[in-house]
Amino acid sequence: MRILINSACALVLATTFLTPAFAAEKVTIATDATFPPFESIDENGKLIGFDIELMEAICKEAELDCDIIGAAWDGMFPSLIEGKYHALISQLTVTDKRRQVVAFSDIYDHPIFRFAAKKGADITISPEGVTGKIIAVQTGTPMDAYVTAHMPGATIKRYDSGSAPFLDLTNGRADLVLGYQAQIVHSFLKTDDGKDFELTGPEMTGKDAKEFGEGVAIAIGKNNTQLVEDVNRGLSKVRENGTLKALMTKYFGE
Amino acid sequence: MNWNIIVENIPLYFTGMKLTLFLAFTSLALSFIIAVPLSFLRNSARSGVRYAVSAYTLLFRGTPLLVQLFLIYFGLAQFGLIRHSFMWPWLSSPLVCVLLAFVLNTAAYTTEIFAGALRSIPVGELEAARAYGLPKSKQAIRILVPAMLTRALPLYGNEMIMMLHATSLASTVTLLETTGVARRITLDNYIQFEPYVTAAGIYLTITFVIITSFQIVQRRFAGYLEPRSI
Repeated sequence: MRILINSACALVLATTFLTPAFAAEKVTIATDATFPPFESIDENGKLIGFDIELMEAICKEAELDCDIIGAAWDGMFPSLIEGKYHALISQLTVTDKRRQVVAFSDIYDHPIFRFAAKKGADITISPEGVTGKIIAVQTGTPMDAYVTAHMPGATIKRYDSGSAPFLDLTNGRADLVLGYQAQIVHSFLKTDDGKDFELTGPEMTGKDAKEFGEGVAIAIGKNNTQLVEDVNRGLSKVRENGTLKALMTKYFGE
Repeated sequence: MNWNIIVENIPLYFTGMKLTLFLAFTSLALSFIIAVPLSFLRNSARSGVRYAVSAYTLLFRGTPLLVQLFLIYFGLAQFGLIRHSFMWPWLSSPLVCVLLAFVLNTAAYTTEIFAGALRSIPVGELEAARAYGLPKSKQAIRILVPAMLTRALPLYGNEMIMMLHATSLASTVTLLETTGVARRITLDNYIQFEPYVTAAGIYLTITFVIITSFQIVQRRFAGYLEPRSI
């Protein structure tokens, strides 16, 4: 009996550790599904959104066997570094700090960052104008980095998910949210909760502040040059055959 | 290993630890004040009173603290009636919401611990008090409460430690206590082991202090309950 158990254990261990070495490797890609319309979970528990469809298209073109899974934002980068995931797609902006720990695919979009506030709140978006105001952001994002660096007079409230800042904006605990313009417009202002709110302040991109990064790309394990190559090949095909443009139109009407 | 980042963030950990201690001890002090009278009502001769207290402790012991916290912080905010009421300036603060959830939760557990200790007091002690002609209020304050507290010490010490550890949930509603600090360092620097090990070390140290002080208190005040060799 004991021998049986021991060998069963050995078998389990062997399959756990050895499988990736010889099986046709499945590419595990994690996403923080609290960020509609880019990535979220629908009522059936399925991942949906712009990034999800884009990633599926890339995998198809690059002939990769991909498994896209939902993950908690605070563990995503460390888990990629540790090798639990092969890649991350989550509207991730490319910054020098992130380049030190992970590799990136080619950039696939240049997001615009905006503030959202209650209609008629009349807050001037400047370091002085937001002094004493409460700004809600998702922790560890470019938005967090930007307000932390440039708006020291404001009270910054940091949340684990991409959607919680909007909850506290609608119930009045925060005066401003800094987010991706597309996120604010399509998943907040167009909903019932967001009808009393509006975009405010200038459109900002990576050209305005280095915290906003160079653009968004897919993050890949630092030494996984093969996967970077494969993903870039898939991405350029998706760009050439019009799928990327079609997705932009579908989600943002651009 | 990247311990430099931890060293750079020692001041942040220090403020986090202060908030952890504040949350834990404020919750424990307030819940103590609530739990002592409730434990008497829990054993009340009137069944209505008894059931009301039981219903409260069942509600708060029967649901996860995180769910209670989310209901108070995000759930209540959904109702316009509450947002426009006199309570909103209070309930809009994450600190008040967190303390409210913690106090209601730990008071429920503490009530049950104290009520159980009350029931285990030997009838003889109460009869002695009656024989001296002490009025009911004096019986409670001089005899029952001290006897209850000394008997409840080991269990209550556990509850204090559980409460200390439960304060880590405050980070989910934007408060930067010890766990919140660790999570923020994780998110800013993409390392997990070092920040969380540091947080664990802080909790362990505080727990060690609590356990040691409880042993001293127990020896001093509950020594008479120890089994004695003749």
